[in-house]
Amino acid sequence: MPASATGNRPEELAERLGVGGAAAEGEALLKALREVKNQIIGNKTKKLLYLHLGAVPRIVSVLASVAGGGDAALIVQAAAAIGSFACGVEDGVRAVLDAGAVPHLTRILSHPDEKVVDAGARSLRMIFKSKLTPKYDVLQEKNMKFLLSLLYRENENVTELAASIIAHSCERNEEQKALYDAGILQRLVKLLGGPLNQRDACLESIEAIVRNNSEVAQKFACIDNGKALSSLIELIQDRYPRTRLLACICLITIRHASPCFVQEMQIKTKLIIILIELLEEPGTAGDEAPFALTNLIMDEEELHRQAVSINAVDKLCNFFYKGPIEPRRLQGILLALAELCSKLEKCRSQLLSLQVLNFIVDALKHDCTDVRIAACSCIRNISRSLKNLSAGHLSSETVVVPLVQLLHDESSLVQVAALGAICNVAVNFAPRKSVFIQCGGVSQLVQLSKSMDPTLRLKSVWALRNLMFLADRTDKECVLMDLTISNLASLICDSEHPIQEQALALVSNLVDGCRDPFEHAFAEDNAIINALTRILRGASSPGVCIQGMFLLANIAAGNELHKEVVLNCLLPPQANGDSPLFIIKFLQSKENLLRVASVWCIVNLTYRDSLCSSTRAARLRDAGIISQIKTMVNDPCLDCKLRVRMALEQCMDFENTHHVH
Amino acid sequence: MSLSWIILGQLDSIESMSTSKKVITRDEWERKLKGVKIRKEDMNKLVMNFLVTEGYVEAAEKFRIESGTEPDIDLATITDRMAVKKALQSGNVQDAIEKVNDLNPMILDTNPQLYFHLQQQRLIELIRSGKVEEALEFAQEELAPRGEENQSFLEELERTVALSAFEDVKNCPYGELLDASQRLKTASEVNAPILTSQSHEKDPKLPSLLKMLVWAQNQLDEKAVYPRINDLSTASLEDPAI
Repeated sequence: MPASATGNRPEELAERLGVGGAAAEGEALLKALREVKNQIIGNKTKKLLYLHLGAVPRIVSVLASVAGGGDAALIVQAAAAIGSFACGVEDGVRAVLDAGAVPHLTRILSHPDEKVVDAGARSLRMIFKSKLTPKYDVLQEKNMKFLLSLLYRENENVTELAASIIAHSCERNEEQKALYDAGILQRLVKLLGGPLNQRDACLESIEAIVRNNSEVAQKFACIDNGKALSSLIELIQDRYPRTRLLACICLITIRHASPCFVQEMQIKTKLIIILIELLEEPGTAGDEAPFALTNLIMDEEELHRQAVSINAVDKLCNFFYKGPIEPRRLQGILLALAELCSKLEKCRSQLLSLQVLNFIVDALKHDCTDVRIAACSCIRNISRSLKNLSAGHLSSETVVVPLVQLLHDESSLVQVAALGAICNVAVNFAPRKSVFIQCGGVSQLVQLSKSMDPTLRLKSVWALRNLMFLADRTDKECVLMDLTISNLASLICDSEHPIQEQALALVSNLVDGCRDPFEHAFAEDNAIINALTRILRGASSPGVCIQGMFLLANIAAGNELHKEVVLNCLLPPQANGDSPLFIIKFLQSKENLLRVASVWCIVNLTYRDSLCSSTRAARLRDAGIISQIKTMVNDPCLDCKLRVRMALEQCMDFENTHHVH
Repeated sequence: MSLSWIILGQLDSIESMSTSKKVITRDEWERKLKGVKIRKEDMNKLVMNFLVTEGYVEAAEKFRIESGTEPDIDLATITDRMAVKKALQSGNVQDAIEKVNDLNPMILDTNPQLYFHLQQQRLIELIRSGKVEEALEFAQEELAPRGEENQSFLEELERTVALSAFEDVKNCPYGELLDASQRLKTASEVNAPILTSQSHEKDPKLPSLLKMLVWAQNQLDEKAVYPRINDLSTASLEDPAI
């Protein structure tokens, strides 16, 4: 019967719930509770409806009034209804928590009637699944004792509940250690021998206790002389997919927490094989498998190789041909492929040869944010392949246009991910970067370079830098017109050092290869040179100083005017004797590249065939720079040593010629 | 001349291929089979497992009494499961839903597809009994929100609602939804999650054994010629065709 039969309208039903007042009693109350419960189970719309009618506090008050020893049937229905409100609806969880349901549900766990205990345990389990539910404080002794007592109960629902509370509530190392000390971890291991659902709950729980805690992980491995670890290893080949997955995740967690365990290649290969097989399973086991796989092989080239050798790339890519993929699974597959392509050229080539790039590009337009981010990571890693970049496989319109679209995405995480991909894709060896510029990529990058978010600023400048690598004059003009010299100058002076570095590298790319390379450096009243000077004199990171000095060295290779400007940069007109010159600081730096760049600068300033080199050499000598360089004749870095020699030879020539005159 | 030699050569190798397979006569085969011992208790357990998993509670009870085999789960839980199946088979979907919720409220809360199919069945029953207005109201109030909550249900929803548009429902395009088979389909869909929630295996062991038999025979076919079981229901040995 539809819910709108007389007397059973939601508003009327909700009225009958509660204690006292207009609420029903006895049989009538039981009937109303049961009716509401049956309406809301599985039905999100009804849950929200009854939530707004204030049903939750009413039902909790009923539970409170009978939990001590009222009609068992009433308790069961009330508990079940509360549990259902907490299932899958955030507002429901909040309402249940606010109404104070948890203590009452906990109370009925000790009820003599098993059905009541079941109802309480199931509902609590639902509540503890939600992120909104506060952690159970396991550091309190009485709480720990309570959990332990639950783990010794015969009732499967109760032990599963205890396991989920534990999994929900142990994040900090001290909590995990306390759980071990109280004997909870050992008990969970024993319970692994029980029925299926209990076993799965215990696996999740064990994983949470050992996560990121090398001490507890080691202690786990020693339980029963290593038998606990062996039973986990057995479980990865269990007949149930979910058990296999959870056992794999557990082993992976132990390995990350304490690498001396699970280190034989044999077991790691087994894990890879099992996880790849799990991909074939429908349901959550198959959905979560690729995430576990990514986690297992993360940053380990050897494991990447193992995975490739057992056709991981092929098997993952096969899914693209099997029709539409559910979002969570799609995200997992993309992340796994991204990880595999992060280091191995072989993977990248294989992926491209399997012709699945168009599926990945389609995923860039997916409704789900996480999928879009994963697709960007995938493309970013595939485009680490210089071979494929130079062959132009990744800079076609089909790839670039959707990526540029994502720069306008509402989620900044997606924007960051897209920028990562664009950074690589933009390193195009073709002289014309028209595709990128034509589809409005540059203006959006420029826009993002003004963002308040430093990550967005950094990555967008980086992308511009890569875009300008070996770009032709027209494209450079285009970018500069959009970006403007003054913006570029302020990026050089950005508060974040990495951004300063990228901005300088961008300038280097802009001036490189131009006929009059430095016109931009000197444009707008030497805006860029001034900015550069300012940060070199300030305290910036070595990376920034290196970029800056190489830029100065390149400018110093220009004409007399350019050399003059560089010299004034090194030797400020109003030098007070107190603060040392930054060039001297750099020449004394531990960083090889910084010393090399600085000496190059001097080499270019004192270049033989230039008119005023001798005057410049004299000024440098007066400032003590030449004497500093003289101390570097035996510099440990060969490159530096050779440049030092060059510089000194050139300066000696001037001295000699000077003397002659 | 050389051509005929090639053909003769090929004929030679074909013959040797067919004779390289071992031939096992019926007598030999039956003798070998006699030598394999199977325990009665194992067979009883298999039968009990089948009855229990499929939910034949009365048969299971009788079998328990007559053979002394203990079921691996409490027969009371099978009774609950069978009550659900019975309700569905008689078209009392609401009753079935209430029974599932009494068994374990988490089942329908965590199986959206199953819940949708149960509600779809309710709609079908309303259409079957000719209560078109009620059916449409139900579709709007109960099923439409499911479609909104989950896009993948929309297609099935459209098909079911389309039923109500036809005068002669039994003969319309989606008429098969009104068959008894649809009720059975829904009933078996409910069976599995209930079993899983009780930590019981949702599939009986017997089919796996039969699959193993078929596979083993296929493997053996490549190496030998022997009396085969071609009809699983009779399990009679059929002489090899030479």
